[in-house]
Amino acid sequence: MRREALAPWLFLAPALAATGLLVLLPVLQSVWMSFHHVVLFEPQHQPFVGLANYVASLQDPVFWSSLWNSILWVVSAVSLQFLLGLGTALLLNRSFAWRGIARALIVVPWALPSVIIGLIWTWMLDFNLGVLNDLGMRFGLLAHPVPWLAQPNTAFAAVVLALIWQGFPFFAVTLLAGLQAIPAELYEAASIDGASPLHKFIHVTLPGLASVISTSLLLRMIWVANSLDLILVMTNGGPGTATQTLPLHAFLTAWSGGDYGQGSALAVILTLLLLGVVVLRVWRAREEFA
Amino acid sequence: MKRRSFLAGSAAAASVPLAAVPLSRAHAARPVTVRWWYHFDDPKATPAALIADFEKKNPDIKIQAESIPWGGGGDYDTRLYTALIAGNGPDTAMVKFENMPRLIDMQALRPLDKEIAAWDGRADISEDLWKLHRAPNGKQYYIPLQYVILYLYVRQDWMDKAKLPLPTNFGQFLTAAKAMTGGDHWGFGLRGGPGGHDFWCTFVLAGGASMTKGGLVTPAAFKANRWFIDLFRTQKVCPPSAPTDGFVQTIANMKAGRTGMTIHHIGSANELAAALGDRITAVPVPRGPTGEGWATYGDGSSAVFSASKNPEAAWKWISYLSTAEPNVAFNKLSGQVTVTISGAKSWDVQPKRFIEATTASLPYAHVLPSVPQTADFTRTVWPQNTQKALLGEISPDAMMRAFEKLYFG
Repeated sequence: MRREALAPWLFLAPALAATGLLVLLPVLQSVWMSFHHVVLFEPQHQPFVGLANYVASLQDPVFWSSLWNSILWVVSAVSLQFLLGLGTALLLNRSFAWRGIARALIVVPWALPSVIIGLIWTWMLDFNLGVLNDLGMRFGLLAHPVPWLAQPNTAFAAVVLALIWQGFPFFAVTLLAGLQAIPAELYEAASIDGASPLHKFIHVTLPGLASVISTSLLLRMIWVANSLDLILVMTNGGPGTATQTLPLHAFLTAWSGGDYGQGSALAVILTLLLLGVVVLRVWRAREEFA
Repeated sequence: MKRRSFLAGSAAAASVPLAAVPLSRAHAARPVTVRWWYHFDDPKATPAALIADFEKKNPDIKIQAESIPWGGGGDYDTRLYTALIAGNGPDTAMVKFENMPRLIDMQALRPLDKEIAAWDGRADISEDLWKLHRAPNGKQYYIPLQYVILYLYVRQDWMDKAKLPLPTNFGQFLTAAKAMTGGDHWGFGLRGGPGGHDFWCTFVLAGGASMTKGGLVTPAAFKANRWFIDLFRTQKVCPPSAPTDGFVQTIANMKAGRTGMTIHHIGSANELAAALGDRITAVPVPRGPTGEGWATYGDGSSAVFSASKNPEAAWKWISYLSTAEPNVAFNKLSGQVTVTISGAKSWDVQPKRFIEATTASLPYAHVLPSVPQTADFTRTVWPQNTQKALLGEISPDAMMRAFEKLYFG
């Protein structure tokens, strides 16, 4: 009996050890650094500074603009990725020739490294040599080339567009799996009851996908909120700080500025904000379950 | 075993200058490996032949060369600092002046005064370069390896067509930039992205501002900076993409015939000459109203780190790289200019006009202050504030006040 009770822990031990070593330990180290003056170039001088790094972060206008950019970044990218992914999943769930190839190809953007995607989009959007300006001019859609990545409004839209292209396959594949799990009998019953395609979508498809949608949305929100690679490659947060999100602000503060204390404080703030979303989701899930 | 070690030690001791004997004995006891970090603009360039030659001449030393991504300088620097603090740094590496204050603060550098004083190759490097390489505390931590001086690339054919002289001052520069602007091409390829601070230095620090307390917020400094920002905002002689253009974009624009002038150094001369032939030339950067000029001196130096367990072998390697023939070979790989007097006499790696522009720029060569703030300035504070000023989000004066605050509080 005692051995049976131990068995799950034995099986979990490698995963727990890896998580502790690779996740928990760095997190604790970040929390420790956030309360200390940790500047890369002053390794001998790391005094405890209490909440000074947090106060300095909150008093910095760049923090608030980065937070606002993060909210816009997550809401716009995730919602549009979801809508595009849902539409793609519904299409791929229908029967048509070469469907297998289409399903395989749709995953390509998701499989490409972010750095490659960033470079592809940077050159596509280049002011002088980019294909987007070239085609726009050729087809009369643009009177002049547009410096997409050098204007605050278009730069933000451009990085969101690149992220949508990269991330929508995740929703497409996940929701496609969810669609295939909905019993065909439900659609047959709805048809017999005279339901229109829209009614079937609202009353059969969406309820059938509800749990997949909420889980995938939560996962993607966390990933997108934490992601900075695409912005780093395409704009490095610029022009000015127009595309600088909170994780990028933390990264630049720590990596480029060498201020690991304040960079860690920013990372802890971001983690707390994301934990808030997770707790809300878990609380809602428990309520639904009850 | 003991006998073999003794023989190896004797052979090594006999092959080095007398002053270096105490250092050599330590490393001659057994073969040692020197970890060396380097970066070349051309990722295909490899120092393998140089290493093979050195190892042949120094069989008791192995060079472990590690190519580190440059990333505009920021990536390389941060990797270096992080590796040194983590205790996993190289024995020696390519470094720049702007690293020096931070590396000194970190107590990461090994003084090389004694080694340099005893080195045969010292006299083959000009005294001017040695002076530039001296640390603020008077010690010598760096040894020159390569150098460049920024100059102005100009489309000779466009200037001929406009019947204008090659610009030597701000007024002529603006006249030329305006003459070359029209349609889908612009007079000046301004670099507002990473590395663009060198452009700003040329026009603002030679135009009336100075890197001294209060020197960035004087009326003359504000005026010079407004003139610089107005090149983009009012005069409109720069491409609309200028606020975020980096090295790749500014050079690509020159090659594509989109811009008539830009600032860079001899490292891009062969690439531009291959694309444009005789239609492109170079001159020293234009001088300001008082005749002052600011051409950024881009150093490439070598340093030995204090944590190195093989400092004497590391010194042997970096002094080899700064010796006449190896230094010429090294700079053919890096695309920059040899630091040796003997090597410069036969230097023909780039077309002559670009070498002449580099040499003619020497009287205007400057570097930003050797203080820890300079790295923040070039990597974050300059691009963020300049981009905002170029886009009209902050005033040019606010931009200067941000720089003053960074440097002088």
